[in-house]
Amino acid sequence: MPVGQALDHATSLLPWCVSAWLLGVGLYAILTSRHFVHLIGCLSVVQSSTYVLLLAAGYRKGAQAPIFYSHPPGIAVDPVLQALVLTDVVIGATVTALLLALVLQLHKRRGTLDPERLRPMRR
Amino acid sequence: MSVLIPLLFLLVAVTGTGVALSRVPRRQVMAMAANGMALALLFMALQAPDVAFAEIAVGTAALPLLFLVVLASVRADKAAKAEDGAAAGDPP
Amino acid sequence: MSPRVRVLLFALAVLCLAPAFAHVALHLPRFGAHPLPYGDAINAAGTRERHVTNMVSAVNFDYRGFDTLGEEFMLLGAVTGTATLLRGTRGERKEVPQQVPGRPVRARSDAVVLVARLMGTTTVLFGVYVALHAMTTPGGGFQGGVIVSSGLLLVFLAEGYRGWRRAMRSEILDACEGSGATLYALCGFASMLAGLPFLQNILPLGKVKDLFAGGLMLVENAGVAFAVAGGFAVLFLEFLEETRVEADGDDEEEKEA
Repeated sequence: MPVGQALDHATSLLPWCVSAWLLGVGLYAILTSRHFVHLIGCLSVVQSSTYVLLLAAGYRKGAQAPIFYSHPPGIAVDPVLQALVLTDVVIGATVTALLLALVLQLHKRRGTLDPERLRPMRR
Repeated sequence: MSVLIPLLFLLVAVTGTGVALSRVPRRQVMAMAANGMALALLFMALQAPDVAFAEIAVGTAALPLLFLVVLASVRADKAAKAEDGAAAGDPP
Repeated sequence: MSPRVRVLLFALAVLCLAPAFAHVALHLPRFGAHPLPYGDAINAAGTRERHVTNMVSAVNFDYRGFDTLGEEFMLLGAVTGTATLLRGTRGERKEVPQQVPGRPVRARSDAVVLVARLMGTTTVLFGVYVALHAMTTPGGGFQGGVIVSSGLLLVFLAEGYRGWRRAMRSEILDACEGSGATLYALCGFASMLAGLPFLQNILPLGKVKDLFAGGLMLVENAGVAFAVAGGFAVLFLEFLEETRVEADGDDEEEKEA
């Protein structure tokens, strides 16, 4: 069944493509951003691309969560990658908060949040 | 393969694009909450309930709130500066 | 660099990287069929060796516990940095809510207050539940901590800024944040005092599927829960303080100074 096979192949490529797309679209939006708060939001999209990639790599078709409370220990998805992503989700949020604090300071000092108007590179 | 996981991957891609391309920060906050929700659903489908818990609390409550508060603070700061008769800030 | 040049460079980089990405994506193992040797080893041995059923917690607090120590201190560093940046320019003063001229502030409706009060307490309780069940079912200090702190936000919605601020003493939250991280580090040193490697489990492991199985992992989990809940609460507090401005009337300012 060539159509089904092709579809199956496409879905098996989908996770990597989605991850790359999130990285690309996030970077593009950062490059063209005109507002620092918007820029930090895009940074969180870039971050989420790594979550998608790691969890997709740790997924196993038909396997269950790595929690052996109601079923006996055995085959399950990868707990190592889940632990990585779990801590990163929480730490990433606090780092984003640090960036937002920097943005607030910037607005107090310079009165603008447009990267184009600040232009540190030109001086 | 079940159709649910590919659909959720696509949903994450679409909402992530929405976050990146909504240029008005206030709207972006709402897009961000939607993206957090989509990510949490995807993690649930990928058999990662632990990560889904963290993502739903961080992505739909904590981060959007921080962004909203920062926008409110910036906006009020701008209004105060405009009132003081300082040089006009950039348009909202 | 003008924006157009920047986008052009970006497009060029994407064009260069696209073939490499296509090559890698086509040669990766199929989605859902990755070889996962490390994860399989932990899944096979974790319950037997550590007496816990949640393998993610076992990895976080035992097998890769040292990484979590680093992450714990990243959290501490980020929260401390944010608090320092925001507090530094603020100082002690009398505050009122900041307002944008010409925008009326509506009072909260009773329905919002009721729902937020009910859901706030429920969410905080649920967060504690999630944090406590780290070793058995999905949950743990990281998830429980953020859920507790998002419950605190609902309390803010219910009680308004003043009531919330009265409940949230920043000294207590700072202490939660710092002592949680310290507790985690001390767990490691406790093993060293017993003559074992850093973070080696020295406490009795307990029964499998018991809420309090896991020995030292339980203490580490409590440390993480306190650090995360306290850290996020400090962040909310500091950012919400930013939306306040000094009250009019300079005489009061001078009295304080």
